[in-house]
Amino acid sequence: MIQNYLKIAIRNLLRNKVFSAINIVGLALGIATCLVIMLFVYDELSYDRFNEKTDRIFRVVFKASINDGKINEANVMPPTAQVLKNDYPEVLAATRLRTSGSPEIIYQNKKFKEHDFASVDANFFDVFTLPLLKGDAKTALREPNTAVITQDFAKKYFGDENPIGKVLFIKSWNENYKVTGLIDKVPHNSHFHFDIFGSMAGVKDAQAASWMTSGYFTYLVLPEDFDYKVLEAKLPQVIKKYMGPQIQTAMGMSLSQFLQKGNQLGLFLQPLTSIHFDEGFTGTLEPSGNIQYVYIFGAIAVFMLLIACINFMNLSTAGASKRAKEVGVRKVLGSIKQDLISQFLFESILLSVVALLLSLMLVQLSLPVFNDLAEKDLQLDFLKNPLLLIAFLVFGLLVGVLAGSYPAFFLSSFNPVEVLKGKFKLAGKSISLRSGLVVFQFFISIALIIGTTVVYQQIKFIQSKDLGYAKDQLLIMRNTWSLGKNEEVFRQQILQDPRVLSVTSAGYLPAGPSDSNNSMGYPDSDESQVMRTLEYKIDEQYIPTMGMKVIAGRNFSKDFATDSTAMIINETAAKAFGWGKNAVGHTITRLKNNDGLKVTYSIIGVVKDFHFKSLHENITPLLMVSEKTYGLTIKVKGKDVEGLLASLKNQWQKFNVEEPFSYSFMDELFEKTYQSEQKISVILSIFSGLTIFVACLGLFGLATFTAEQRTKEIGVRKVLGASVSQIVTLLSKEFLKLVLIACGFAFPIGYWLMNKWLQDFAYRIEISAWIFVLAGILALFIALLTISYQAIKAALANPVTSLRTE
Amino acid sequence: MLELKNIFRWYNSGVNRAFVLRDVSLNIEQGEFVSIMGPSGSGKSTLLHILGMMDEPNEGEYSFLGENVLKIKEKQRAELYKKHIGFVFQAYHLIDELTVYENIETPLLYHGIGSSERKSMVADILDRFNIVGKKDLFPNQLSGGQQQLVGIARAIITKPNLILADEPTGNLNSKQGQEIMELFKTLNDEGVTIIQVTHSEKNATYGSRVIELLDGRIER
Repeated sequence: MIQNYLKIAIRNLLRNKVFSAINIVGLALGIATCLVIMLFVYDELSYDRFNEKTDRIFRVVFKASINDGKINEANVMPPTAQVLKNDYPEVLAATRLRTSGSPEIIYQNKKFKEHDFASVDANFFDVFTLPLLKGDAKTALREPNTAVITQDFAKKYFGDENPIGKVLFIKSWNENYKVTGLIDKVPHNSHFHFDIFGSMAGVKDAQAASWMTSGYFTYLVLPEDFDYKVLEAKLPQVIKKYMGPQIQTAMGMSLSQFLQKGNQLGLFLQPLTSIHFDEGFTGTLEPSGNIQYVYIFGAIAVFMLLIACINFMNLSTAGASKRAKEVGVRKVLGSIKQDLISQFLFESILLSVVALLLSLMLVQLSLPVFNDLAEKDLQLDFLKNPLLLIAFLVFGLLVGVLAGSYPAFFLSSFNPVEVLKGKFKLAGKSISLRSGLVVFQFFISIALIIGTTVVYQQIKFIQSKDLGYAKDQLLIMRNTWSLGKNEEVFRQQILQDPRVLSVTSAGYLPAGPSDSNNSMGYPDSDESQVMRTLEYKIDEQYIPTMGMKVIAGRNFSKDFATDSTAMIINETAAKAFGWGKNAVGHTITRLKNNDGLKVTYSIIGVVKDFHFKSLHENITPLLMVSEKTYGLTIKVKGKDVEGLLASLKNQWQKFNVEEPFSYSFMDELFEKTYQSEQKISVILSIFSGLTIFVACLGLFGLATFTAEQRTKEIGVRKVLGASVSQIVTLLSKEFLKLVLIACGFAFPIGYWLMNKWLQDFAYRIEISAWIFVLAGILALFIALLTISYQAIKAALANPVTSLRTE
Repeated sequence: MLELKNIFRWYNSGVNRAFVLRDVSLNIEQGEFVSIMGPSGSGKSTLLHILGMMDEPNEGEYSFLGENVLKIKEKQRAELYKKHIGFVFQAYHLIDELTVYENIETPLLYHGIGSSERKSMVADILDRFNIVGKKDLFPNQLSGGQQQLVGIARAIITKPNLILADEPTGNLNSKQGQEIMELFKTLNDEGVTIIQVTHSEKNATYGSRVIELLDGRIER
């Protein structure tokens, strides 16, 4: 029986080559897209789950609201781990991680600048499942100045030699670290990635009892099935007991006074598995994933597959008249309905298996591109993951059943008498259902066009927005700290160059990597107004070089000796302190450190608001003081950047410092801030292109069938004198009507969804009407183009031949 | 063998009922060769379809080999049909995607007959009908007469004891038609009951009995 089905199926496929191709290509594209996205979603959801204690590990985070300034920090104070472990028996283990900058590390003649150095507590490898290939996880980091490294790291410094016992010289801190352990690598789906984990045992700051500093990522292991909310509820006591006295010393008020003013602060727990998607924390180890994109992509995957399946259903039911006779004959020969259902299901499963094989090839071809775009390392490797193979086969089966079930029931229900007498007519019900399916396909396509356009518009808006500073022609050199006092000499040399307009020395930048400093301060001696604000330390060249505008008062100047206690604030700060346009002359008192040292600054100027955070966020109050920091920003004049760079490099090398000459451009750093949006935009446009393509495949098929079915009608109309264009209109009209109906659904839903997406930006475009007009026209145009081939072909056919076929 | 009692078949067209069969009663014995005749629209085909269980009357009774066809379950009726009835069409209705051999084999698949037995049965019939050389051809490669031969081969391969033929020679020239009628005659002589719908007086002479229909009533 199966053999007979197989024969029929294959002969049918070969007979209707065009439709078989449409079906297979459509399904394959749908399945391939779905597979790639499923791999992506699976990867996103797998973050940190490689740990054996995944469900029991929690990160301690700090949340506060001080004078309406919100603080959410992913890292906490140095003593937190120890205190929680000591005071609460349910904390089975507590471990910490701190980043220690990017040191230069030397071994014999090998010297590299490392990206990240992590200092961790001795029990770190007990909490996280990063098995040691060499060394003992329990003792490796017990002693000061020991380190566990990854295999790649070991290879880089020691080649194939055994790394255990080797001593690395950390030049930046003038310290030696002995290698005591070797791990493979940190899995890509971890929320932290380091190549070297140094022992925290010798780090002085880590032993400090300060509750006013932070920087320690603190992880707790709780007992199995323990509700972490229970422990979280006890954490305010920790703040009261340990942080309270230090607040008293630093701010001159008790914790309860502080809280009475409407301030809030506390420690909270965050499950390890939610770290990857928890946005809104500052000071995280790596940028978080975006659960929104997981949803968006997931939805696209489902829709893509649905559209491909709908194509299949549409073409099968539209082609039903061709198969109707066979159904009738088989029924007369003794086939019952079930036999026919299984026959047609068998056919669709066969087709989906072929599509599945094709999609495998497509996935293998497209994964590198997708990985590149999404910055992932996804792989379709059945050998490594046999479960994937099973999932894959089940998936193919499901698609076959999903796509084939409706046609199977539809076809098998034909009445043999009518079919064989040639009375067979496609019932109106199936036509309206097919129309519904076409509407659905175009609804999705149009919604995707709208989405893609809005994303594109928003990105363009970001790029052309007045940022309050001029990002073009700014050359940045971040590592001039290595010049020390010579930085100023270097600066003077650069200024001699005719291609340079101005040079500022400051480590604070509005885009890309920047120094960062928050300080507590209060205005006009009113301590109750204490506020935590971002603070820039700059020189008098900063504002003109960056192209910022002073809108009241003046810039810092060498002519005023008092400028060491002068301050420039941004518009938002002036508003926040209630001064509006009259900020100049007021004062702000800064709390310099934990010991209660205070310095009062007088405001000499207000700078026009500029965007120093991404456009996702509102501009917040910013204070600028005149203090020395390292890092040069050069405003370049003219086009000869290459020549300037060459001469800068030449001068740099004369200082004979270890740091290599390196530079970046402000506009590129700015672009990088929106890389994820850029990539989303590209991925989204690819997917919408694919969806539209598959939808058009289906439409093409349907148009072909309609043209075939109406051959006689067209012939008669032509004999009666209809022109070619009238026939084309006749054939296209109905499909275009469907596209218009789809627009009716897609517009409001697309508007609603994209408005939601835009809410994520503090600065955003308004969705304008022309986007909808464009999407509608584009969809109509594409649909028309698809249909017109068949319509024109049918219209041009000689009526004599078309009538003779009847 | 089968008996129809007071069969009515109508279609609703607007408020009126369009009657196709009115009060048809009929008794056919095993081994008969019956020809149903009558002008177009007299209800011949509908009567044949009701006899073949492909259509149901709106009123009346139908018993086949003692079974009350209209009362038994769909599944039992399908079994009864499968076991005892073979159909031959004016337009042959072979499956275009299957070869001659496969077309003849198809009903055996639905009867659940094993592969080796199928082979010998199909071989026998190809032999008997003298179309062994054509077994790998597709229907569109055959002449009308040859296609109808295959249609009959397909109908009798399951050894039914009733063959229903709807104008079996309607699309054939007279020589081909004669051959097909001879074949029916031989089958009838072997004991198979045959009911054919025909326009041709000449074809009717092959049968043992003629039923004349006019406007849905039996005239004779």
